[in-house]
Amino acid sequence: MQINAERTKTESPIAIVATSFFGLAETAVAVTVGGVHSAAATVVSLPQLERDNAALRAGNKTLVEENARLHELAAAYAAEAGVRVSVDLYRGIEARVIGFPPENESRSVTIDRGANAGVRRDDGVVATNGVVGRIAAVGPFSSTVVLVTDYTSRIPAVVRRGRWWGIARGNLGSVRMEYVPQDAPLKVSDVIVTGEGRSFHSGVPIGSVTSIERGDSTLYQIAVVKPAVDLGALDRVVVVPR
Amino acid sequence: MSSSRDKRHVAPFVGPPWFAAAAWLLGAAVADTTVVHFFAVRDVVPSLVLVAVVWYAIRVDVLRAAVYGLAAGLCEDVLAAQTGAAWTISTIATATLTSVLSRGFFADSIPLVGGVTAIATLVRALLFWTVMSLEGYPGGLGGMHLRQAFVAAALNVAVMIAAMLVVRRFNVREA
Repeated sequence: MQINAERTKTESPIAIVATSFFGLAETAVAVTVGGVHSAAATVVSLPQLERDNAALRAGNKTLVEENARLHELAAAYAAEAGVRVSVDLYRGIEARVIGFPPENESRSVTIDRGANAGVRRDDGVVATNGVVGRIAAVGPFSSTVVLVTDYTSRIPAVVRRGRWWGIARGNLGSVRMEYVPQDAPLKVSDVIVTGEGRSFHSGVPIGSVTSIERGDSTLYQIAVVKPAVDLGALDRVVVVPR
Repeated sequence: MSSSRDKRHVAPFVGPPWFAAAAWLLGAAVADTTVVHFFAVRDVVPSLVLVAVVWYAIRVDVLRAAVYGLAAGLCEDVLAAQTGAAWTISTIATATLTSVLSRGFFADSIPLVGGVTAIATLVRALLFWTVMSLEGYPGGLGGMHLRQAFVAAALNVAVMIAAMLVVRRFNVREA
Protein backbone atom coordinates (compact mmCIF):
# COMPACT_ATOMS: atom_id res chain seq x y z
CA MET A 1 0.00 0.00 0.00
CA GLN A 2 2.90 2.28 0.73
CA ILE A 3 4.68 1.49 -2.57
CA ASN A 4 1.49 1.83 -4.50
CA ALA A 5 0.77 5.14 -2.85
CA GLU A 6 4.27 6.34 -3.74
CA ARG A 7 3.80 5.31 -7.30
CA THR A 8 0.40 6.90 -7.70
CA LYS A 9 1.35 9.94 -5.59
CA THR A 10 -1.58 9.45 -3.25
CA GLU A 11 -1.80 9.08 0.50
CA SER A 12 -1.76 5.52 1.75
CA PRO A 13 -4.37 4.53 4.32
CA ILE A 14 -1.58 3.43 6.66
CA ALA A 15 0.04 6.81 6.42
CA ILE A 16 -3.26 8.55 6.93
CA VAL A 17 -4.05 6.50 10.03
CA ALA A 18 -0.54 6.84 11.37
CA THR A 19 -0.26 10.55 10.80
CA SER A 20 -3.68 11.06 12.33
CA PHE A 21 -2.71 9.02 15.34
CA PHE A 22 0.64 10.68 15.76
CA GLY A 23 -0.89 14.04 15.18
CA LEU A 24 -3.40 13.49 17.94
CA ALA A 25 -0.75 12.01 20.18
CA GLU A 26 1.62 14.91 19.55
CA THR A 27 -1.16 17.36 20.23
CA ALA A 28 -2.05 15.61 23.46
CA VAL A 29 1.58 15.47 24.56
CA ALA A 30 2.19 19.07 23.53
CA VAL A 31 -0.83 20.27 25.42
CA THR A 32 0.11 18.26 28.49
CA VAL A 33 3.74 19.30 28.41
CA GLY A 34 2.77 22.90 27.76
CA GLY A 35 0.38 22.85 30.71
CA VAL A 36 2.91 21.24 32.99
CA HIS A 37 5.58 23.65 31.80
CA SER A 38 3.41 26.64 32.32
CA ALA A 39 2.28 25.36 35.74
CA ALA A 40 5.87 24.69 36.70
CA ALA A 41 6.87 28.11 35.41
CA THR A 42 4.07 29.67 37.39
CA VAL A 43 5.09 27.89 40.56
CA VAL A 44 8.68 28.79 40.00
CA SER A 45 7.91 32.43 39.22
CA LEU A 46 5.28 32.95 41.97
CA PRO A 47 7.58 34.83 44.33
CA GLN A 48 8.68 37.01 41.43
CA LEU A 49 5.02 37.66 40.56
CA GLU A 50 4.33 38.61 44.13
CA ARG A 51 7.26 40.98 44.07
CA ASP A 52 6.10 42.44 40.75
CA ASN A 53 2.58 42.77 42.12
CA ALA A 54 3.82 44.53 45.23
CA ALA A 55 5.98 46.82 43.12
CA LEU A 56 3.06 47.64 40.85
CA ARG A 57 0.79 48.31 43.83
CA ALA A 58 3.40 50.59 45.34
CA GLY A 59 3.83 52.33 42.00
CA ASN A 60 0.08 52.72 41.68
CA LYS A 61 -0.18 54.17 45.19
CA THR A 62 2.59 56.65 44.39
CA LEU A 63 0.86 57.64 41.17
CA VAL A 64 -2.48 58.12 42.94
CA GLU A 65 -0.84 60.30 45.59
CA GLU A 66 1.03 62.27 42.95
CA ASN A 67 -2.18 62.69 40.98
CA ALA A 68 -3.98 64.06 44.04
CA ARG A 69 -1.07 66.40 44.77
CA LEU A 70 -1.04 67.63 41.17
CA HIS A 71 -4.80 68.20 41.30
CA GLU A 72 -4.32 70.25 44.45
CA LEU A 73 -1.48 72.20 42.85
CA ALA A 74 -3.59 72.83 39.76
CA ALA A 75 -6.48 74.11 41.89
CA ALA A 76 -4.10 76.30 43.91
CA TYR A 77 -2.55 77.59 40.71
CA ALA A 78 -5.97 78.41 39.29
CA ALA A 79 -6.89 80.26 42.49
CA GLU A 80 -3.54 82.04 42.48
CA ALA A 81 -3.98 83.01 38.83
CA GLY A 82 -7.47 84.33 39.54
CA VAL A 83 -6.24 86.37 42.49
CA ARG A 84 -3.30 87.63 40.41
CA VAL A 85 -5.74 88.90 37.79
CA SER A 86 -7.67 90.79 40.47
CA VAL A 87 -4.46 92.16 41.98
CA ASP A 88 -3.33 93.45 38.59
CA LEU A 89 -6.78 94.70 37.62
CA TYR A 90 -7.46 96.67 40.78
CA ARG A 91 -3.85 97.26 41.84
CA GLY A 92 -4.94 95.56 45.02
CA ILE A 93 -3.31 94.00 48.04
CA GLU A 94 -3.36 90.23 48.14
CA ALA A 95 -4.44 88.77 51.48
CA ARG A 96 -5.35 85.48 53.06
CA VAL A 97 -8.29 84.75 55.37
CA ILE A 98 -6.97 83.81 58.82
CA GLY A 99 -9.92 84.06 61.19
CA PHE A 100 -13.65 84.17 61.75
CA PRO A 101 -15.89 85.99 64.25
CA PRO A 102 -15.70 84.24 67.63
CA GLU A 103 -19.43 83.61 68.03
CA ASN A 104 -20.50 83.77 64.38
CA GLU A 105 -22.79 86.63 65.38
CA SER A 106 -21.75 88.61 62.32
CA ARG A 107 -20.71 87.75 58.80
CA SER A 108 -17.08 88.80 58.85
CA VAL A 109 -13.58 87.38 58.44
CA THR A 110 -10.11 88.44 59.49
CA ILE A 111 -7.37 88.80 56.86
CA ASP A 112 -3.62 88.82 57.31
CA ARG A 113 -2.97 92.31 55.94
CA GLY A 114 -3.33 95.48 57.96
CA ALA A 115 -2.32 99.10 58.03
CA ASN A 116 1.33 98.20 57.53
CA ALA A 117 0.44 96.71 54.15
CA GLY A 118 -1.60 99.77 53.17
CA VAL A 119 -5.08 98.53 54.06
CA ARG A 120 -7.50 101.25 55.14
CA ARG A 121 -10.96 101.27 56.62
CA ASP A 122 -13.77 101.01 54.02
CA ASP A 123 -11.51 99.57 51.34
CA GLY A 124 -13.36 97.06 49.19
CA VAL A 125 -12.44 93.37 49.23
CA VAL A 126 -12.93 91.09 46.22
CA ALA A 127 -12.19 87.48 45.32
CA THR A 128 -11.80 85.86 41.92
CA ASN A 129 -15.55 85.77 41.23
CA GLY A 130 -16.68 89.07 42.71
CA VAL A 131 -17.37 91.11 45.81
CA VAL A 132 -16.44 89.76 49.26
CA GLY A 133 -17.10 92.79 51.48
CA ARG A 134 -15.44 95.87 52.89
CA ILE A 135 -12.82 96.57 55.55
CA ALA A 136 -14.49 97.42 58.87
CA ALA A 137 -11.50 97.55 61.23
CA VAL A 138 -7.78 97.79 60.60
CA GLY A 139 -4.96 96.66 62.87
CA PRO A 140 -1.25 96.90 62.13
CA PHE A 141 -1.01 93.34 60.84
CA SER A 142 -4.58 92.24 60.25
CA SER A 143 -7.98 93.61 59.28
CA THR A 144 -11.60 92.66 59.69
CA VAL A 145 -13.73 92.33 56.56
CA VAL A 146 -17.49 92.67 56.88
CA LEU A 147 -18.92 90.30 54.29
CA VAL A 148 -21.49 91.40 51.75
CA THR A 149 -24.04 89.15 53.49
CA ASP A 150 -23.65 90.84 56.89
CA TYR A 151 -26.70 92.70 58.09
CA THR A 152 -24.73 95.97 58.29
CA SER A 153 -23.42 95.75 54.72
CA ARG A 154 -24.81 98.26 52.21
CA ILE A 155 -23.39 98.51 48.68
CA PRO A 156 -24.69 100.55 45.75
CA ALA A 157 -25.70 98.00 43.15
CA VAL A 158 -26.73 97.95 39.50
CA VAL A 159 -28.50 95.33 37.38
CA ARG A 160 -25.99 94.70 34.62
CA ARG A 161 -28.62 94.02 31.95
CA GLY A 162 -30.52 97.26 32.31
CA ARG A 163 -28.57 99.60 34.60
CA TRP A 164 -31.33 99.77 37.20
CA TRP A 165 -29.96 100.96 40.50
CA GLY A 166 -30.58 99.73 44.02
CA ILE A 167 -28.90 99.08 47.35
CA ALA A 168 -27.48 95.60 48.04
CA ARG A 169 -28.08 94.89 51.73
CA GLY A 170 -26.76 91.87 53.57
CA ASN A 171 -29.37 89.43 54.82
CA LEU A 172 -27.21 86.84 56.62
CA GLY A 173 -27.36 84.01 54.08
CA SER A 174 -28.06 86.10 51.01
CA VAL A 175 -28.11 89.67 49.71
CA ARG A 176 -31.26 91.70 49.09
CA MET A 177 -31.17 94.37 46.41
CA GLU A 178 -33.63 96.97 47.62
CA TYR A 179 -35.08 100.19 46.22
CA VAL A 180 -35.26 98.89 42.65
CA PRO A 181 -38.07 100.78 40.84
CA GLN A 182 -41.24 98.77 40.23
CA ASP A 183 -41.05 99.35 36.47
CA ALA A 184 -37.64 97.67 36.17
CA PRO A 185 -38.26 94.31 34.41
CA LEU A 186 -36.03 92.23 36.64
CA LYS A 187 -35.56 88.57 35.82
CA VAL A 188 -34.26 85.61 37.76
CA SER A 189 -30.54 85.05 36.98
CA ASP A 190 -29.92 88.72 36.22
CA VAL A 191 -26.38 89.63 37.24
CA ILE A 192 -26.00 92.35 39.88
CA VAL A 193 -22.78 94.37 39.92
CA THR A 194 -21.43 97.17 42.08
CA GLY A 195 -22.16 100.77 41.30
CA GLU A 196 -19.52 103.43 41.79
CA GLY A 197 -19.30 103.93 45.54
CA ARG A 198 -17.12 104.47 48.55
CA SER A 199 -15.58 101.00 48.61
CA PHE A 200 -15.87 99.70 45.06
CA HIS A 201 -15.52 100.83 41.49
CA SER A 202 -18.43 99.97 39.25
CA GLY A 203 -18.85 96.61 37.55
CA VAL A 204 -17.64 94.12 40.15
CA PRO A 205 -20.12 91.18 40.31
CA ILE A 206 -22.10 90.91 43.54
CA GLY A 207 -24.21 87.93 42.53
CA SER A 208 -27.21 86.78 40.54
CA VAL A 209 -30.93 87.18 41.20
CA THR A 210 -32.62 84.06 42.57
CA SER A 211 -36.08 85.49 43.28
CA ILE A 212 -37.98 88.77 43.04
CA GLU A 213 -40.39 90.21 45.61
CA ARG A 214 -42.94 92.61 44.12
CA GLY A 215 -45.62 94.16 46.29
CA ASP A 216 -48.80 95.72 44.90
CA SER A 217 -48.68 98.66 47.26
CA THR A 218 -44.98 99.42 47.32
CA LEU A 219 -42.89 101.80 45.27
CA TYR A 220 -39.98 99.45 44.94
CA GLN A 221 -39.25 95.79 44.32
CA ILE A 222 -36.66 93.62 46.01
CA ALA A 223 -34.35 91.14 44.32
CA VAL A 224 -32.92 88.31 46.40
CA VAL A 225 -29.36 87.80 45.22
CA LYS A 226 -27.10 84.78 45.61
CA PRO A 227 -23.52 86.04 46.16
CA ALA A 228 -21.10 85.39 43.31
CA VAL A 229 -18.40 84.35 45.76
CA ASP A 230 -18.67 81.27 47.96
CA LEU A 231 -18.31 83.18 51.21
CA GLY A 232 -18.19 80.00 53.27
CA ALA A 233 -14.99 78.87 51.59
CA LEU A 234 -12.90 82.01 51.40
CA ASP A 235 -9.15 81.64 51.24
CA ARG A 236 -7.38 84.28 49.17
CA VAL A 237 -8.84 87.73 48.63
CA VAL A 238 -7.73 91.08 47.25
CA VAL A 239 -8.12 94.38 49.06
CA VAL A 240 -9.00 97.12 46.60
CA PRO A 241 -7.62 100.47 47.78
CA ARG A 242 -9.98 103.38 47.45
CA MET B 1 -9.91 90.24 122.95
CA SER B 2 -11.55 88.74 119.95
CA SER B 3 -14.77 86.92 119.47
CA SER B 4 -15.96 84.63 116.73
CA ARG B 5 -18.24 87.39 115.48
CA ASP B 6 -15.20 89.51 114.51
CA LYS B 7 -13.81 86.86 112.20
CA ARG B 8 -15.00 87.42 108.66
CA HIS B 9 -15.96 84.30 106.82
CA VAL B 10 -13.92 84.00 103.65
CA ALA B 11 -14.87 81.33 101.13
CA PRO B 12 -11.90 79.16 100.20
CA PHE B 13 -10.58 79.72 96.69
CA VAL B 14 -11.00 76.49 94.74
CA GLY B 15 -10.44 77.76 91.20
CA PRO B 16 -7.38 77.19 89.05
CA PRO B 17 -4.39 79.57 89.31
CA TRP B 18 -4.75 82.80 87.34
CA PHE B 19 -2.15 81.92 84.72
CA ALA B 20 -3.82 78.60 83.98
CA ALA B 21 -7.21 80.30 83.69
CA ALA B 22 -5.69 82.96 81.43
CA ALA B 23 -4.07 80.31 79.24
CA TRP B 24 -7.40 78.48 78.92
CA LEU B 25 -9.13 81.72 77.99
CA LEU B 26 -6.51 82.63 75.39
CA GLY B 27 -6.61 79.16 73.88
CA ALA B 28 -10.40 79.21 73.78
CA ALA B 29 -10.48 82.64 72.09
CA VAL B 30 -7.96 81.62 69.43
CA ALA B 31 -9.77 78.32 68.82
CA ASP B 32 -13.11 80.15 68.53
CA THR B 33 -11.77 82.35 65.73
CA THR B 34 -9.92 79.67 63.82
CA VAL B 35 -10.90 76.00 64.11
CA VAL B 36 -14.31 76.02 65.86
CA HIS B 37 -15.76 77.65 62.74
CA PHE B 38 -15.34 74.35 60.90
CA PHE B 39 -17.63 72.56 63.38
CA ALA B 40 -20.61 74.85 62.84
CA VAL B 41 -24.01 73.21 63.24
CA ARG B 42 -26.74 74.96 61.27
CA ASP B 43 -24.49 78.01 61.01
CA VAL B 44 -24.03 78.13 64.79
CA VAL B 45 -20.74 77.50 66.56
CA PRO B 46 -20.12 76.56 70.19
CA SER B 47 -18.39 79.21 72.30
CA LEU B 48 -15.30 77.83 74.00
CA VAL B 49 -14.82 81.24 75.64
CA LEU B 50 -18.22 81.02 77.33
CA VAL B 51 -17.51 77.45 78.43
CA ALA B 52 -14.22 78.65 79.97
CA VAL B 53 -16.00 81.55 81.69
CA VAL B 54 -18.70 79.29 83.18
CA TRP B 55 -16.09 76.72 84.18
CA TYR B 56 -14.12 79.39 86.06
CA ALA B 57 -17.07 81.33 87.44
CA ILE B 58 -18.68 78.35 89.18
CA ARG B 59 -15.47 77.77 91.12
CA VAL B 60 -14.61 81.27 92.30
CA ASP B 61 -16.18 84.23 94.08
CA VAL B 62 -18.19 86.89 92.29
CA LEU B 63 -15.37 89.42 91.98
CA ARG B 64 -12.94 86.99 90.38
CA ALA B 65 -15.70 85.76 88.07
CA ALA B 66 -16.50 89.32 86.99
CA VAL B 67 -12.83 90.08 86.27
CA TYR B 68 -12.55 86.88 84.24
CA GLY B 69 -15.73 87.80 82.38
CA LEU B 70 -14.26 91.24 81.66
CA ALA B 71 -11.12 89.72 80.16
CA ALA B 72 -13.12 87.20 78.12
CA GLY B 73 -15.58 89.79 76.84
CA LEU B 74 -12.78 92.18 75.88
CA CYS B 75 -11.08 89.39 73.93
CA GLU B 76 -14.27 88.69 72.00
CA ASP B 77 -15.02 92.35 71.29
CA VAL B 78 -11.49 92.87 70.01
CA LEU B 79 -11.71 89.80 67.78
CA ALA B 80 -15.23 90.53 66.53
CA ALA B 81 -14.24 94.14 65.69
CA GLN B 82 -17.71 95.62 65.24
CA THR B 83 -19.54 94.72 68.43
CA GLY B 84 -18.41 97.70 70.51
CA ALA B 85 -18.60 96.60 74.14
CA ALA B 86 -21.50 94.19 73.73
CA TRP B 87 -19.51 91.04 74.47
CA THR B 88 -17.70 92.71 77.37
CA ILE B 89 -20.87 93.82 79.13
CA SER B 90 -22.80 90.65 78.46
CA THR B 91 -19.93 88.36 79.50
CA ILE B 92 -19.26 90.26 82.75
CA ALA B 93 -22.93 90.00 83.66
CA THR B 94 -23.06 86.33 82.69
CA ALA B 95 -19.95 85.47 84.72
CA THR B 96 -21.34 87.33 87.74
CA LEU B 97 -24.70 85.60 87.44
CA THR B 98 -23.04 82.20 87.07
CA SER B 99 -20.88 82.77 90.11
CA VAL B 100 -23.90 83.82 92.19
CA LEU B 101 -25.92 80.81 91.00
CA SER B 102 -23.11 78.38 91.72
CA ARG B 103 -22.95 79.29 95.43
CA GLY B 104 -25.72 76.78 95.96
CA PHE B 105 -24.47 73.66 94.20
CA PHE B 106 -21.52 71.39 93.76
CA ALA B 107 -19.40 72.48 90.80
CA ASP B 108 -18.74 68.94 89.61
CA SER B 109 -22.35 67.91 89.03
CA ILE B 110 -22.75 67.42 85.29
CA PRO B 111 -26.52 68.09 85.07
CA LEU B 112 -26.28 71.25 87.17
CA VAL B 113 -23.25 72.63 85.35
CA GLY B 114 -24.89 71.75 82.02
CA GLY B 115 -28.03 73.61 83.07
CA VAL B 116 -26.06 76.64 84.20
CA THR B 117 -24.16 76.63 80.88
CA ALA B 118 -27.43 76.68 78.94
CA ILE B 119 -28.82 79.50 81.08
CA ALA B 120 -25.55 81.44 80.75
CA THR B 121 -25.62 81.09 76.95
CA LEU B 122 -29.18 82.36 76.65
CA VAL B 123 -28.69 85.20 79.16
CA ARG B 124 -25.51 86.30 77.42
CA ALA B 125 -27.18 86.26 74.00
CA LEU B 126 -30.08 88.31 75.36
CA LEU B 127 -27.73 90.86 76.94
CA PHE B 128 -25.50 90.94 73.86
CA TRP B 129 -28.32 91.80 71.46
CA THR B 130 -29.76 94.29 73.95
CA VAL B 131 -26.42 96.13 74.08
CA MET B 132 -26.10 95.85 70.30
CA SER B 133 -29.50 97.49 69.86
CA LEU B 134 -28.37 100.26 72.22
CA GLU B 135 -25.31 100.67 69.99
CA GLY B 136 -27.54 101.28 66.99
CA TYR B 137 -28.24 97.87 65.55
CA PRO B 138 -31.84 97.03 64.59
CA GLY B 139 -33.75 95.72 67.57
CA GLY B 140 -35.11 92.78 65.59
CA LEU B 141 -31.68 91.21 65.17
CA GLY B 142 -31.91 89.60 68.61
CA GLY B 143 -35.19 87.93 67.63
CA MET B 144 -33.64 86.77 64.37
CA HIS B 145 -30.86 85.10 66.36
CA LEU B 146 -33.18 83.41 68.87
CA ARG B 147 -32.95 80.03 67.14
CA GLN B 148 -29.17 80.40 66.99
CA ALA B 149 -29.09 81.10 70.73
CA PHE B 150 -30.93 77.85 71.51
CA VAL B 151 -28.67 75.84 69.20
CA ALA B 152 -25.61 77.54 70.74
CA ALA B 153 -26.88 76.66 74.22
CA ALA B 154 -27.16 72.99 73.24
CA LEU B 155 -23.68 73.03 71.69
CA ASN B 156 -22.12 74.75 74.69
CA VAL B 157 -23.73 72.25 77.06
CA ALA B 158 -22.34 69.41 74.93
CA VAL B 159 -18.85 70.92 74.99
CA MET B 160 -19.05 71.51 78.75
CA ILE B 161 -20.18 67.94 79.45
CA ALA B 162 -17.43 66.55 77.20
CA ALA B 163 -14.83 68.71 78.99
CA MET B 164 -16.09 67.60 82.41
CA LEU B 165 -15.97 63.94 81.41
CA VAL B 166 -12.42 64.32 80.10
CA VAL B 167 -11.27 66.09 83.26
CA ARG B 168 -13.00 63.48 85.41
CA ARG B 169 -11.19 60.70 83.54
CA PHE B 170 -7.82 62.43 84.12
CA ASN B 171 -8.63 62.93 87.80
CA VAL B 172 -9.48 59.23 88.18
CA ARG B 173 -6.17 58.27 86.55
CA GLU B 174 -4.19 60.62 88.79
CA ALA B 175 -5.95 59.22 91.86
